[in-house]
Amino acid sequence: MMRAWYLVREALTNLRVYRGSVAIGIVTTAFALACFGVFLLLYLNLHNLAGSLQRGIDVVVYLNPDAPEQTVAEVRRRLREEPAAVTVSVVSKAQALREFRDAFPDDALFLGEMGDNPLPVSFVVTVSPGFQTPESVSAFAERVEGFPGVAHVRYHQDWIDTLALVVSYFEFGAVVIGVILAVATVTIVGNTVHLSLQARREEIEILRLIGATGRFIAVPHVIEGAMLGAVGGGLALALLKGAFEFLRFELYASGWFDGLERILTFFPDPVSLLLVLAGMALGCGGSVFSIMGLIKTRQG
Amino acid sequence: MIRLFHVSKFYGRCSALHDVTFHIDKGEKVILAGPSGAGKTTLLRVIFGAEVPDEGQILVQNRNVARLRGVDIPYLRRTMGFVPQNFQLLPQKTVYDNVVLPLIIQGVKRREARKRVGASLKAVGVEHKQAVRAGALSAGEQQRVCIARAIVNRPVLLLADEPTGNLDEALADEIAALLRTIHAQGTTVLLATHNQRVMAQMQGRVLHLRAGRIVSDSDARAGAA
Repeated sequence: MMRAWYLVREALTNLRVYRGSVAIGIVTTAFALACFGVFLLLYLNLHNLAGSLQRGIDVVVYLNPDAPEQTVAEVRRRLREEPAAVTVSVVSKAQALREFRDAFPDDALFLGEMGDNPLPVSFVVTVSPGFQTPESVSAFAERVEGFPGVAHVRYHQDWIDTLALVVSYFEFGAVVIGVILAVATVTIVGNTVHLSLQARREEIEILRLIGATGRFIAVPHVIEGAMLGAVGGGLALALLKGAFEFLRFELYASGWFDGLERILTFFPDPVSLLLVLAGMALGCGGSVFSIMGLIKTRQG
Repeated sequence: MIRLFHVSKFYGRCSALHDVTFHIDKGEKVILAGPSGAGKTTLLRVIFGAEVPDEGQILVQNRNVARLRGVDIPYLRRTMGFVPQNFQLLPQKTVYDNVVLPLIIQGVKRREARKRVGASLKAVGVEHKQAVRAGALSAGEQQRVCIARAIVNRPVLLLADEPTGNLDEALADEIAALLRTIHAQGTTVLLATHNQRVMAQMQGRVLHLRAGRIVSDSDARAGAA
């Protein structure tokens, strides 16, 4: 107990005595983690956006304009038997015309001049959650296109594919930037602890003289690194939250992207905690990195 | 307690120790004498495990120090006390915090540690300075605290490297008397000094070192070992 208290007290003393270099370490750690956090936030929100678009996928099945009632009934029956379809609602020719007129009032006249309603019967199919991947939707659409009487199947595949590609780029970018910033953070924290070690060389020599193991000497520095990293992580989180709320407010006030501010989400609590823990882990890593040689040496 | 067999240590082409052979029994009081640069400190550092000899073997309490792994050296040191010439105290910490450190390292319980620190400080005559910062003490007091730290874990072997080197005659006499008392209580003492006065006061076996060689041993039996 006395030993544990001593080790923690030493770590706190280090933080207090070398507060200048510790402050630099905290700020640089926070900056590095905040940069990574920005990327992570972008990724998270794009991922969420892609997910919500996937969840809202409706596949529209257009029949040939001259498809008889029997064909309409047959296609409806087959769609309902599809495991990928949750709901199948029919849009009759008359309903389609009404919707067209509502949506494009200027072109309605043109449709009227064409005599018979040229719009086809269509089905709006809501895809079941288990089939909401781009591959499943695509396979489903291809299958339906083969039904007799079906003229065309439409869904927002291009858009979804592009978004999925962007998300995957962000995923890759987050990993690359994460690794680079992790190395930078480890180096920064390592240097901070190294400075403290250099300043305490005589003390370390004394500790060796009286039988301290490398681990005993190292532990306060590892605790110091962990504390530094955790504070850096917390600061990064606070910076990100502040910037995020500011951006959301500005979006709302400007009215440029109506409703976007409601879609944007900050890190959930477990991810926030992970960011602080990541700071801690990086801090520990930096300390271990800088004192590795010290633990191995035999000199006293 | 300590056995050296043909120990040599080189720094580049310079020989710090050359074919040193002797042994020290448990409870002995031995003075390593010789001028500066004779190899006294190197010899103590080799016994202490701070230096690895280039040739020969060193047995300390039946453990071959030359072959000990780096991670095992601290555990060897916990069985010894070491008094360096330049005190090597933590000046910002109190006397108590300095002396209790070896006990913290060994995981001794707080109450027991307090008792042992009190006893050690009393033995060296500075128990009233417990709460004073080590850096605020006089040279003589610092050396006493250093000795208290060396004996607080009740070592079987006490190594002292010129412990009176920075002290005036009166203080040197006090430290010599203190080391004699510690020896009288059963601790094996190996003291390196070039101070003739201290050597005379210690009244122990004298090993003379010159240019890294043992040139005389007042105990003929040990010299022949």
